[in-house]
Formats: sequence, structure tokens, C-alpha cells
Amino acid sequence: MEKSQSEIRIIIVGIAKNPLGFMGLVIVGAIVFSAIFAAWIVPYDPIEMNIRDRMQGPSWSHLLGTDQLGRDTFSRVITGGQVALKVALPAVFGAMAIGLTLGMVAGYGPKWLDNFLMLLFDTIRSFPTVMFALAVVALVGPSLQTVVLVVMATSIPTYGRVARTQTLTLRNSEFILAERSMGASMARILGVHMLPNIIGVLAVLAAMDIPTVIALEAGLSFLGLGVKPPTPSWGALLKDGYALVRQTPWLVIGGGLPIIVATLGFTFLGESLRDVVDPKLRKNQ
Amino acid sequence: MKIEWTKTPIGRRKFLKGATALGATAALPMGFGGSALAQESGTLRVRAYGDAPNMDPAHSVGVVEEEIHSSIYNKLVQYKPGSEWGWQLDAASSIEQVDPTHIKFALRDDIGFTNGHGAMTAEDVKFSFERIIADETESPNKPDMGPLSHVEVTGEREGTIVLNEPFAPLWSIALPYITGNIVSKSAVEGAGGRINSEPVAESGPYLRASWSPKAKTVLQRNPDWKGDAPAWDTIEIYPIDDENTAEIAFEAGELDLTRVSLGSVARYRDGVPNGGTLVENPSLFYVWLGMNLDHPKLQNQKLRQAIQHAIDVPTILEASYFGAADPSTGIIAPGLAGNRAEGLVAAEANVEKAMALLAESGESNVTLTLDILNKTTYTTMAQVIQAMLAQIGIALEINVLESGAFWASGDNENLQLVLNRYSMAPDPSYATAWFTSAQAGIWNWERFRNEEFDAIHSAASAETDTAKRATMYQRAQDLMEESGAYRFITHEATPVIHSSRVIPALRPDGLSLLRYFGKA
Amino acid sequence: MLIFTLKRFALAALILFVAVTLMFLMIRAVPGDPVQIMLGPRATPELQARLTAELALDQPIFRQLIIFYGNMLQGDLGTDVFSGRAVTQIVFQQLPFTLELIFGSIIWSAGLGIFLGAYAASYPNTLIDRMVAIASVSFVAAPAFVVALLSLLLFAVHLRWFPAIGAGNGFWDRMEHLVLPSFAIGLSWVGYIARLVRASMLEVLGEHHIRTARAFGLAERRVVLVYALRIAILPVVTVIGVGMGFLLSSAVFAEIVFARPGLGKLVIDSITTRNYPIFMGSVLVSTGLFVVSTALADLINAWLDPRARSAK
Repeated sequence: MEKSQSEIRIIIVGIAKNPLGFMGLVIVGAIVFSAIFAAWIVPYDPIEMNIRDRMQGPSWSHLLGTDQLGRDTFSRVITGGQVALKVALPAVFGAMAIGLTLGMVAGYGPKWLDNFLMLLFDTIRSFPTVMFALAVVALVGPSLQTVVLVVMATSIPTYGRVARTQTLTLRNSEFILAERSMGASMARILGVHMLPNIIGVLAVLAAMDIPTVIALEAGLSFLGLGVKPPTPSWGALLKDGYALVRQTPWLVIGGGLPIIVATLGFTFLGESLRDVVDPKLRKNQ
Repeated sequence: MKIEWTKTPIGRRKFLKGATALGATAALPMGFGGSALAQESGTLRVRAYGDAPNMDPAHSVGVVEEEIHSSIYNKLVQYKPGSEWGWQLDAASSIEQVDPTHIKFALRDDIGFTNGHGAMTAEDVKFSFERIIADETESPNKPDMGPLSHVEVTGEREGTIVLNEPFAPLWSIALPYITGNIVSKSAVEGAGGRINSEPVAESGPYLRASWSPKAKTVLQRNPDWKGDAPAWDTIEIYPIDDENTAEIAFEAGELDLTRVSLGSVARYRDGVPNGGTLVENPSLFYVWLGMNLDHPKLQNQKLRQAIQHAIDVPTILEASYFGAADPSTGIIAPGLAGNRAEGLVAAEANVEKAMALLAESGESNVTLTLDILNKTTYTTMAQVIQAMLAQIGIALEINVLESGAFWASGDNENLQLVLNRYSMAPDPSYATAWFTSAQAGIWNWERFRNEEFDAIHSAASAETDTAKRATMYQRAQDLMEESGAYRFITHEATPVIHSSRVIPALRPDGLSLLRYFGKA
Repeated sequence: MLIFTLKRFALAALILFVAVTLMFLMIRAVPGDPVQIMLGPRATPELQARLTAELALDQPIFRQLIIFYGNMLQGDLGTDVFSGRAVTQIVFQQLPFTLELIFGSIIWSAGLGIFLGAYAASYPNTLIDRMVAIASVSFVAAPAFVVALLSLLLFAVHLRWFPAIGAGNGFWDRMEHLVLPSFAIGLSWVGYIARLVRASMLEVLGEHHIRTARAFGLAERRVVLVYALRIAILPVVTVIGVGMGFLLSSAVFAEIVFARPGLGKLVIDSITTRNYPIFMGSVLVSTGLFVVSTALADLINAWLDPRARSAK
């Protein structure tokens, strides 16, 4: 939390030194860049339809062809990156923040609270995601927010468990014991001393989790439970592509490629981040 | 008096939301039948869009079950395969309408039930038909039998069907469809009055040899069948609800016949793999955009009319059905009595008129929601409508619902616009039944209430003069359209592909009549 | 160990109870009247009333819950309206199809994953290692329905190596029908397992007794295969236990695309038709499956590594 700028620079430099990490950094950078500046990059309005020009293959005017409504697939892919980040970032960071808080409370707080929270985590984890998602979507209706909610709810337990384990390990370490004997408040111990030591591990987990979130959105879209049309998510693209695969393969390619590239980017970034944040693991290699 | 309805087909009503009731996530209740390249030359492999767990015609919920029931049970008359609606004799050796309320029939003497339940007699016919209308059966198909009073048994194999009043759909729905199936009296009574997943006694050209839930149903030739021998020894019916999967299975040579998606028609017109054939059939289903007349935002008739005129139906059909379906003028398809040659609002949009109507209405900054089912066809359609309404300055938000929530829209008072599709049987009364005042808030989601419409609906079923009957139903649809609550879109189509081994026997709307399938 | 086992299973039962209760309440909160949706538009009011009473839907919700658990403890999960068959029979008839699908996909993902992981670990930080990393990671987020579709088009339609739909009859036929669907859902796990094996393998290869084995001049292949791999595989075992939930989710997609019977499809259909009895039956079985497999994974873990017991 209080990492100074130079520390962040050290981390980035550390990641960039690893070839895979460098690749991850470049890919993620490109995705974030294209998402932020999507409006300037896209050659067409991603929801503007032109039915006469539908289902075309790639050409100079439409780099990835067009969909069943004559919308430019490339523009939809780029804007879809924005949607993916809009789902993935709040979901992952939300889950991380809540999981971290609950996990630390479970690890540091009274035993009954720990038991209760662990039971809650295990319960959520025990539903197959799709079943849980279906019930939630049926309950509140499909939308971007619903997808975020589902993803968040299903991944809180993972962060919570890791945060709890870390807290348990730290709680008996010498410097925490020293703090406690000096009468530091629980909030202070958790916030000032434990948090910085736990957050790194969770950040690694979060980076690696983003592709899973994107894939989950695609799965929900396939079942007709994703974001609202005409929002161009990668999952919606794949769903249309699935239905039209023998008319035009370009929708599946257009929706599938960015998911694979994003997965590579975030995974490599996450792995090299781990190597930097947690040098112990590196030592073994 | 014999009612001829081959020339002027009378529709029959069928089950509206068959798919929901069946539980298929898809509300695509048409795809059916077909056969596949089986290794054994005697096996026909066809696709059904859902599983058929129930062998009781009284509790059948639609075409998926009927396709099996009509193979393992007999009816007095069966639908005739071909492009025009008509019937042919089955268990009846003769049948005649002696007056508007009496129908005399005689049974063939060579039909017997399995499991030792003996020959089929007039008692079985009486039992089967009266069972449908009996309260304790709780049959959802009771309306199909309409004003049936009773069946008089006049001989071992002779009887008379007696109606309380004339009933036009008798020949188009009651006898040749779900409620016409004849079951064995002794077998059903022996089973406590209800058939579940096991047919207690069969009599048709096929017997249901096995059922693996959600995997397949196998029909096998009935060795004791004395009628015209069916061409195939074995029929395997696969429940597949995903159209893409069904098409892939056909192309992989694992199905002989399947309904295909309208989006694939253009591709199959250029050639069907494995030397197969594409058959394009019309469909009776109807798709429309409805507006909830009880919603505060939709009180202004000019606004509703503006919406009617702003929507360009040909564009919608091009986008979501790839041009493989034609615009409709109402809820009654061509080929049925009461079909309108033209609607009051043209299929093409009239944007100027729409804008003028909107200006007249005095409404501004209109924002509405459109509820749809979560299928690609409807999301595509909804996005086109969204763009069209945006042209006249109406902002539309699309609500995508999974099928359980969607089909519960009847009691959703906040419903505004909705894209809907009901299935249909070949009688116009089947369509108007859902739009009466009594159905408001149940299946009449627009909450359209019109006394004249209600009167037409109840009078038209008893009208046996086909021309008069047609005029009545045309008027009924005018009333619907005038209310501004409806924008009729299409009746879709039922494109079917089949392999070169098969000579399919299809109803005019493309559904399979398996017992009449031939070998090429 | 015995106490730990008992405790772990008590916890599993508790989780199952909470999860099932939660789903019970959730499905009842979802809009859509099951009686109306299940019976269809033409059901008579009498039939609707009878089913409402049969499903105890006219009772207060907590009473419904008590009735549900009461019947459940007697092994009765209710009866399906359409077929008149017991829900337990329906669910257990679908279960084997999903189980064989899951086991098939574990074989794919563990087989490919262990091979790729071990291979990469034998050549750490070389080009091969990086290629394996890239290849296996790309699969992680490949949506199961896309892999399913593409493998169908390639292997069933174009090459005709494998059958396209259904689950098949008889042992070999069923195996043949299993190849593509299990591949489609196992693929996304290959990368995960490969990376896990690679990491633990590198750790093991650095350990003392491996170095000793090498010093004794044992062939490198033998060292990798016999000594290192055997130890490095252990974490995979526990991961697979946890993976059951994930695979159960993915099974839905394979079951839809390959028109296979199975539990996943049953769950989806029962939710969209609001078929409460079948839904609760499948929830019970699928969460039960998950809870038991994680418990088993924990036990195996504890048995292998006694430290895990006290950490709990």
C-alpha cells in the first residue's frame, strides 16, 4: 500500500528483465492502451449496423470482416477489450479487496469468526460456477453488473483463503508479536503491518485470475447470460460466432484470438510478478 | 355432410409455448424428425428438439411427444403428408360427419394392443376421447376436444362422436392430433388411469423399444401391425436442442433428417452435404412485437402507432433469418382460414409517418424497455429494432431473459415491449385463444381487451362455413392491429434437410410424420 | 488421522447443508412460477393447484425447507411431473455420463499437462521451455464451447475420426464418444497442470537425492521419469480434487454442444423450467460430489504431508 514509486519501478524493471514477463507487460500494456483509447482507434462505430455488408471476410475496409448485422468486427474486438477490462478489473479487485479483508479478519480474529468465514468460503466454492451464475442471473437479470457480481462472488473465497493463510503465518512472527505487546490496535496491525506483506501474493493471484474471468464471461454469454446487447463483449462475439461458424469463421477468430492473447499477457505478467514479489520461489529455480 | 378441409384448410390449434412446458431452454419447438445414415440400413435416425418423457396423450405437451405417440398409437384419422393440410384414414375404416354434431365411425378389425390388451374396440375410442374432457384427467389438451359431449358405442367396432355444438377444429386438431390418439381402456385403467413414462399398451406400426432420458428414444417395427408396413425397421430419435449441433451431426453422417436454422438455409441451398436434400416448408408459428397496453408509458395510441410504423420488417427478417422467412400480417399463417393477405400496417417501415405520429402524440424523450428471450435470433432482432426506434428518437433498452423468467412475463406488470413467438396448430382458433380478455396477464401479455374480439373468438369455432369463418378471424386480427399493441413480424419457416436414403413424410409445416417415412 | 478424517467429513456435511439450503432459497426467490412454467400454458387450474400442493409451494418457505430435508433423509427427492419418475432415479441416471466425462477430461489434462510440464522442466529456460509455456497457457482461457465446436468440425465432420453426438452404447462405443467432449473441457486445464508440474519438478530436481542419483551416473531420462516425476506429480492429485467443481461447470458446455446426456444439462434445464425437485436433486448430487472430492483431496494431502493436519 505504501510502496514508494521507486519500489514500483523496481518491480516493473524486474518483470521486464524476464523475456516472458516483458512479453506479458507489452501485451497487457497494449490491451489497456487500446481499451482506453478505443474510441480513437476503431475505424467504425462498433454498434453501427449495415445489413447489406454483413458477414464479410477480412478486407482493407474491415480488417476482421463484419458480423450478421454488418458491424465491423475489428471495431467490436477493440471495444470488447474495454468491456473485458470493465468486467475483469472491478470483479478481480473487488473480490481481492473483500477476500483480503475477510481473510485477514478470519486469520487474525476470533476462532468462531474464522470458522464461520471458512464455512462461507467453502460453501460458495462448492457450487459449480455455472449453476451459481444461472441462479443469480435468473434472479437479477443479465447485465455487465451481474457478470461482475457473479465473478466477484465466486472468486472471493480464493483470495480469502490465501489472505487467511498468510495472516496466520504472519500473526506469530516476531515483529507482529512485538507490535502487539506494545498495544497496537488490531486495525493498525492488520492495515499497516500485515497488508503490505499479503498484498503482493494476492496481486499475483489477481493477474492470473483475469483470463479466467474473461473466459467465464464468454461462457455466460454462450448460455445467453452475459452482457446486454448491443454491448460488444468478446463472449457475445464468440456466441454469435458459434451460431454462424459455417457462414463465417471470422467471428470465432475475432472473439477467440483476443482471449488467448489476453490470457498469455496476464499469465506471464502474473508469473514474473510472482518471481519478483516472492523471491523465495525464484531461489528454487 | 362431410367437411372438406383439404381445399380450404382449417387450422388447428396446437400448443403455444410447447417448448417452455417441455423445458427445453430453446423456445424453438419445431425442429424434429429426420433420419441418419445408420450403419444398419434399416435404421432411421432423426432429431427431436427435446426429450419426450411422457407417453400419455392426455398429458402430452406438444410436437416432441406427439411425434412418438403418433407412431406407437393409432388415431381414427392421421394428417396426410404433403404441402396441403388434410387427413387420411388410420384406425377408422370409415368416418363420416352425419350432421354438424354427429360423426359416425367404424374401426378396422385388425388392430390390437400389446401386452395382452386385445383388439381395439369402439370402447377404447370412447374411453380415450372422454378421458380427455373428464375433469379428473386434468388434461391440458381438453380445449382441443372442444364441445365433445360423449362417444356412443353402437357396435363392437362402431360408434358415433357426439358434439354439444358444431366444432370446426374437430377435423383439423381434435381427431388427427394429440387428443386423437386412441389408448387401451383396460391397460390405462389397469395403470390407475394415468400413463407415465412407460406406454402401457401400444398399437401403432412402431413400438417404443427403449428410452434413455436425454439421450435417445428407439422405436421398433411392431411385429403384429397389420396395416401398410412401415419402411424402416428401427427409428432412433435424438433429443438435440442446439441447432448447430444438429447440423454438425447431420454433416457427420449421424442423422438422416433434422430441422436446420434459418441462418443455414442459404448455405444449404447451394448444396447439402452427403448428397442430401433441403426441403423448405412454411411454418404456422408467429412472431411479433407486443406492447403492454396497461403500462403507463404506453397509454398513448399515437406513440404505439409510431412504433408500429418505425419498424421495418423486411430488414429484421434479413438480419435475423437471413431472408429465409417472409413477413406476416397477423397471427394466422397463409394456408389457414382467416389469414389476411395484407395487414393494416405495411411490412415496410414508413419513417416519416412514424415521426409524424410521434410528433402528434406529444411525447418526447421516450425511453422504453424490450424484453426478449436469450437466443441469438432475438438478440439480433432486438438490436435491429433498437436501431430503428433510435431513428425516430425512441431509446430502447434490451432486457435479455433466460427462458424461465421470460415465460413468466404474463404477470409482469412492468413489461413494456416484448418480442414474442408462439407455436401453433393448424386451426385459427388456436391462435386467437391467447389474446382474449380472459387471458390478459396470463398469455395475453399485451393485456389487449376487446369485447368484439372475444365474441369473435367464441363464435368462430362453431362456424362451419369456412368463408364466413375466415372473415371473422380476419376482423379479429384487424382489431388487434388497430389497438396499436402489435407489430406482426413473421411466421418463420421450417427448413429441413434429409439424407439421400430417406423419403420424408412431412406435414405442411415441416414436422415429421414418422410412420409414413419411406426409403429411397 | 482418524479424528482429522471425521472432522473433515463433518465439515463436508456442514458445507453441503449450507450450500443446498442456500440454493433452495435462491431458486425460490427467482421469478417464474414453477407450476405455470412446468405445466405449460394450457394446464387446468385443478392440475396447477394439485401440483402446488404436491410441491408444498403453498406452505411458508421454512416449512418447505423442513419438508425437503425430511424427505431427503428418507431418500425421497420427489417425483417428476412429466414422467412420474423419482427424481433420484433421474439424477442418478444422468450422473454416470457426467462422471465419465469428467474422468475423461482429467485423463486428457493430467496426461498432456504432466508430459508438457515434465518436458519443460527437463529443459528449463530454453526455447522449448518457453514454447511449452506459451502453448499450454494459451489453452487456459480457451472457452470450452469454442474448443468443442472446432474439434467437432475438424474431427467429426471433416476427418470423421470420432462420432459427433450422443454418448454411445457399449464400452468401446462410449469411449469413442468420450474422446472429443472430454478433450474440449480438459484442454483448458492442461496449461494449469503443466505449470504446476514444471514448478514442482524443478524443485524436486534441485533436491539432494536427485543430485545424488545423477552423481551416481543414472541416465538423465531415468532420473526425470522415475525419481523426480513420481514426487512432482503429488500436488496434481490434490489439485484434481478441487478441480471437480470447475470441470462440473465446463461439463455443461460439452453436454450442450455434443448433445450428450448428463448432470450439467439437467441442471440448466431444471433451472430454466423451474423444475424445483430436479433442480434440488442435481444441486445435491453435484455439490455433494464436489464436497466429497475436496475432502478426499485434503485427506490425501494430510496423509502425504502431516504438517497439513495441524495447519487446519
